[in-house]
Formats: sequence, C-alpha cells, structure tokens
Amino acid sequence: MKAASGTNMDPNSKRYIYRVNKEENRKEMKHVKIDESTVIVNDNKTKKNKKNKVDLPKKKYYRQRAHSNPFSDHQLEYPLCPDDMDWGKLYPAFRDETTGQMTKEVTIADIGCGFGGLMIDLSPAFPEQLILGMEIRVQVTNYVEDRIIALRSNYAKEQTYQNINVLRGNAMKFLPNFFHKSQLSKMFFCFPDPHFKQRKHKARIVTNTLLSEYAYVLKEGGIIYTITDVEDLHDWMVKHLTEHPLFERLNKEWEAQDECVRIMTNATEEGKKVSRKQGSKFIACFRRLPDPEII
Amino acid sequence: MAIIHPIQAVAVIGNDSVIFTVIKNVILGFKKNSDDSGYRLIGRWADQFDRSNSLKEKVSKEQDRQINENAKKQKDNEGNAVPKKKTEAKVPVPGPGAPPVYSCIRNLIVSKNGKKLFSCADSDKSVLIFDIDSTNENNCLKLVKRQPFPKRPNAITISDDEKTIIMADKFGDVYSIPTDGEPLQNINDELDPILGHVSMLTDVLFKKDSNGKGYILSADRDEHIKVSHFPQSFIVDKWLFGHSQFVSSICAPEWKSNYLFSAGGDDYVYLWDWESGKKLSQFKYSELIMPHLNDQHLAPSRFQNEANDVIEYAVSDIIAFNTIPYIAFFVEATKILFIVKVDTENNTFGKCFQLELPYNVISISDSGDEEIILTLDNRDSNNKEFVKLIDYNNQGNCFKINDIVSTKLNDCIASLENDTDITTEKDKIFPIYSTTTLRKHGEHYS
Repeated sequence: MKAASGTNMDPNSKRYIYRVNKEENRKEMKHVKIDESTVIVNDNKTKKNKKNKVDLPKKKYYRQRAHSNPFSDHQLEYPLCPDDMDWGKLYPAFRDETTGQMTKEVTIADIGCGFGGLMIDLSPAFPEQLILGMEIRVQVTNYVEDRIIALRSNYAKEQTYQNINVLRGNAMKFLPNFFHKSQLSKMFFCFPDPHFKQRKHKARIVTNTLLSEYAYVLKEGGIIYTITDVEDLHDWMVKHLTEHPLFERLNKEWEAQDECVRIMTNATEEGKKVSRKQGSKFIACFRRLPDPEII
Repeated sequence: MAIIHPIQAVAVIGNDSVIFTVIKNVILGFKKNSDDSGYRLIGRWADQFDRSNSLKEKVSKEQDRQINENAKKQKDNEGNAVPKKKTEAKVPVPGPGAPPVYSCIRNLIVSKNGKKLFSCADSDKSVLIFDIDSTNENNCLKLVKRQPFPKRPNAITISDDEKTIIMADKFGDVYSIPTDGEPLQNINDELDPILGHVSMLTDVLFKKDSNGKGYILSADRDEHIKVSHFPQSFIVDKWLFGHSQFVSSICAPEWKSNYLFSAGGDDYVYLWDWESGKKLSQFKYSELIMPHLNDQHLAPSRFQNEANDVIEYAVSDIIAFNTIPYIAFFVEATKILFIVKVDTENNTFGKCFQLELPYNVISISDSGDEEIILTLDNRDSNNKEFVKLIDYNNQGNCFKINDIVSTKLNDCIASLENDTDITTEKDKIFPIYSTTTLRKHGEHYS
C-alpha cells in the first residue's frame, strides 16, 4: 500500500482514498485491451449509466516533489534485454491474438514525458506508430496511466489512444534494456530538468556520453526533438548535440514545416504553462547521421 | 602488535621474476634472485600526497563562489552590491566518530614489455604512470606522470600500442589520456569523457576484434557491459545483456580473442562472445560456495529479515590463465579459489577445481604462463602467508600451491615488518571487502 499512500499519509485524507481507488482500477485495467465490450462489462459491474464517461484523473491527487535523483537506486522494473520486454501489456490492441506477437514496435519515445500531454496529441497524428513515454516520478507515471485508461475507455468505440503508453523508468540508465539498436525514429526531450548547478550537469538528460546511447537506439535519419524554456539549458543541449559526430542540427525551415515541432510547442503541460506566463520556448531538432566508417 | 597489512593488489613481470604489490598506499617491487634463493626488494613508492592542500583549495574555491553569489543578492539602500570580506577558508575537520578516510592505491598493471607500471591513487583521484628500471636496484620505480581526475578512478586498461591509458571512474565516465607527456592542469575544462554510463563503473578492457578494430568494454553496477568502438568511442557497438546483478569484474583471455568472462553479484559466471554479442555459456557457482559462507556474508542489518538469514555474496575478481584455457575466480571473504576449464571447441565450461586457502582471498592476478598469484588476508598468520602462487601441474592435470616460491616471497615481505608505512593494527585495515557493497537494494521509492 506504500505505493498508493506514500510513506506517511493520513489514511482518511481525500487524496489517500482517491489514490487507493485509482490504484485498484489501474491494476485491473492497465494491461487489458479496452474496447467496447470491456467498457460495457465494466459499466454493468459498477451499475453505472452506459453513457457516463470515465472521469479523467485529477492532477491535484498526484502531487509529488518535482525532482527525482537519476543516480539513486530506485525500485525499478525493467527487462533484462529488449527481447524480454512484454510490449503486449502496454499496447494490447497491437498484439496479434492468435500468435501473441506484436504487430508493431515502439518507434517514438518521449523521454521524461511528465503528465503525458505530448503523447496524447501525438497519438492521433501517428496512429500507426507506437509511442512510449518514460517518466521517473511514480505519481506522475500513475497519473499518465490513469489518464490513458480513461481515454481508452471513453474512446473505446473509436479505438483511439491505443498506441500510447507510459513506463516508470530511468531512461538515462536503462534505455538500451528496452530498445534494440536503431529501433526508434523519434525521441522527444521536452522541458527537461535544467539542473542549473554546475556540479549537477551530469544529471542533465543531454550529455555527450548519453548522446552516444541515444544515437544507438535511433535509426539513421531519426530525429531528436528538444524544447525548453531555459536558455542556458537550450545552449547546453545545442552545444552537445552539435559537437556529437552522429547528429546534425535541422534548420528553422525544417522546424517550421514539421508536424511534431508544432505539437511539441503547444501540447505539453510545461509548454502550456510557459505560454501562460508568456515565457520563451527554445527549440532545437537534430538528425541522426549515419555511422562513419570504422577506423 | 603491528602486523604487515594484507596485500591489496599484485602485478607480475615475466614468470614471477619481478612482482609488484600494493600494501595500503605503498607500491613495493620484488625481484627473484638470479640463483633462485629468494626475493629481494628492488622498488618502493609511497603515495605522499597531502589531501589537506587540495581540500583547502576546494573549500576556498567554494567560498569564492558563495561570496560571488551573495554579492549579487546583498545590496545596500542605493542598490549597490555590498562586497563581503574574504576570510581565511576553514577546512572542515572530521568530528569524533567520523568514518576514517582511506587513501589506497588500486589497479596495478604492467606493460607487456615490462617497462611501465600503471596504477591509481585514491588520495588525489589520479592515474599514476611509472617507468620501471629493473637494473636500478635502489629503487626501480620512477613516477613519470600523475594525472588527477574529477572523480575517483576505479579501473584502468591500456591500449594495445600502450600509448593510451583508459580510465573508468566511480561516476560512470571513461577517459583516455596518453601514457607520456605532461599531465593536464585543469582536467575539468580540458578533457571530456570519451564514453559513459549513468552508473558506477567497475571494470574496463581494451580489445581488438578479428579485423583489427579497437573496442572498449566497460562494466557497471547496473548489470550492463557496454561495447563501444575505439577510438570512435561515440559509436556504441552493443550491450551484453544477461547479468541480473552488478558486474564486478570482466576479463578477456589471450587464448581466444572473442571470449569475455564476467562475474559479480549473480550466481553465475558468464562466458560471452563479445564480437557477436552472444552469451555462450554460464557456470553456476552459488551451490559450490554455500558451505564456505560465514557471518560476513549476512546482509547488512537494514536489508536483513527477522530470521536473520539473508545472505549476500559476490565474485570479487575473475581472471584467465595466460596460456592454458582455464579461468580462476573467488567469492569475496571466502577461502575458496575456483579454477574452471573452458572448452573452446564447444564454448562451454568444463571441470571445476576448488582449492582451499588458509585465509580469505583478497586479490588474484596472473603471474606466469601457467601460474597465478593470490594474496591473502594474512592478519592471523603472524606476518606469514601474504601470497600463494598456484601452478598448473601438467602430469597430474591439476592445480597446486607452489609452496617453495610462495614461501620465498612471503619471507621477503615479512622482512619488511619495520616499515611503518605498510604495517597496521589488526583491527585497522583498509577496506578490502567492498565488492558486496555494490549490491543494489532499491532503497529509493519515488
């Protein structure tokens, strides 16, 4: 119950009760294929009116401290290697029921997906691609899971939002446990933790050593998207990506015509917050170059 | 009574003719007498780096930074910044009961031609490069380069042309520096890591594949072994997946260029084809070691259960024999040495030999073509039994302790008992049992 409650939470509080309820629902619904039949069965069970929509989760019940130390030993679940990953649990609609095999593999990753706004807007734009969000904060991941369950239930007839899901994980450490070489076509780094202090710079999500690992999971021609409202961090990311031999920056014209840049600029919760405060948004996109000849 | 501290690491030139050892923060070199009557001391280097200076520098730098930062905040009524007086930086002194700081020397490697010795010093987090002049009987060791790094070096390896030294640190970064030339003064500004993990690195190796291309193999506390190209280290070639616990040691034998052995907190020792990325075989040692575990292997109290029966053990080090297809490894804080035959036709593990030593094994290194050398936790041996050499016996097809050579070397080491730099009280030893602390317990929930 630690998961729902946090360590020292009042068991009578509204937030506690909400979290426990949601956790039960999540356990039940997380890995099932949601279509019209499941939604109706559920409705009968709970004697709810069929027309009632499932409520979207409320953010206020999922608060937790904003930062997580990427270097500590968290209790994480991750596969031993990419072949061990059971993607069918995350994307049940894309599992072939006769063979049990996946019909598609994940090609778009949102690293540090936060509350999932980007994925939800990308989902209808790329209905034939599987999109995975990775998030290190437990409560935030729970929120995105509940949000996706609610969306899948509300759009059971249309069968939308089946191509997105979220994983609680540490992408800096375990990205290669999930993805094969050259599996991804797009990676998003939206409003990452700026880690202002000099000595925390290694905790930034873009470093020259981590870029080599992102280059490994990205296919040739794959795109890294970055956006931030912190100019220092933007300069840092541009510097490191430009210096890396496996990436080249895409120009403003390219950015202007790209669908994902448009979505990324407007979709995420952080992005909306920055817009409300009329802050600046700094965008930089990079293409994965082919490996040079090995010397 | 003071005793000589257990030997933490060994490196050997030729068939046990010159033997270098690390005791506390001292490197000692021993040479075999030409008439084979015993060993004599021919080299000694003690790390005399004074940490208080670098600490003071660090504290004063941080003080400057804080003063600068506060200067921006503190303003007088006119809005002008108030300059703050700079006082003498106070170096923090550890209070009573603070854990002692150990500055040991680790990782001893001798170049193939026997002319250079490489090592790392904890005191200033540096890589040390020595010239070995074995004709200079007064002191064959001459420090030629000392390169400090931002984080503590944890493993080193050298490129096959021996011009580059590759260092893996505790923060997860790998650096390469030339073995000659002057050290860099401001390493933070002048040198970027060539590759990195987001996890403590435990071992690193340089290898060439069958096409003569260079690679770096790096192992970490998060079960990963990463294979990167070298010098194009920004291209990751692959990961070797299979460990479910930390990796503490990897080794590559001379007799099969595509082989890699790895071990750590798992119940198995693994054999990989690092070129193809395939796991070829695994050897389960956990049942064999069970009878030899003791109270030292109980998990720390905060990870212990009520029945107090959670045990944790790990392989400290694994090495390959030089010319025969055998590997040797030991589990931390045990007296048992495992030697396992490797079938290079079928890529499998074969017969396993177990040798029981009089004391716990501390380190293991190769010391000749068919010979390895162990160092022991000799504290109860009354200044004897520092090392044991182990030979392959061709006739008997078995492994035996070479008591004659071992005794000669032990006698020579014991004769140094008046060197206070290498002696200690029995209960005050450097951390020589630290491998199991690498085990992750997932303490942090959110």
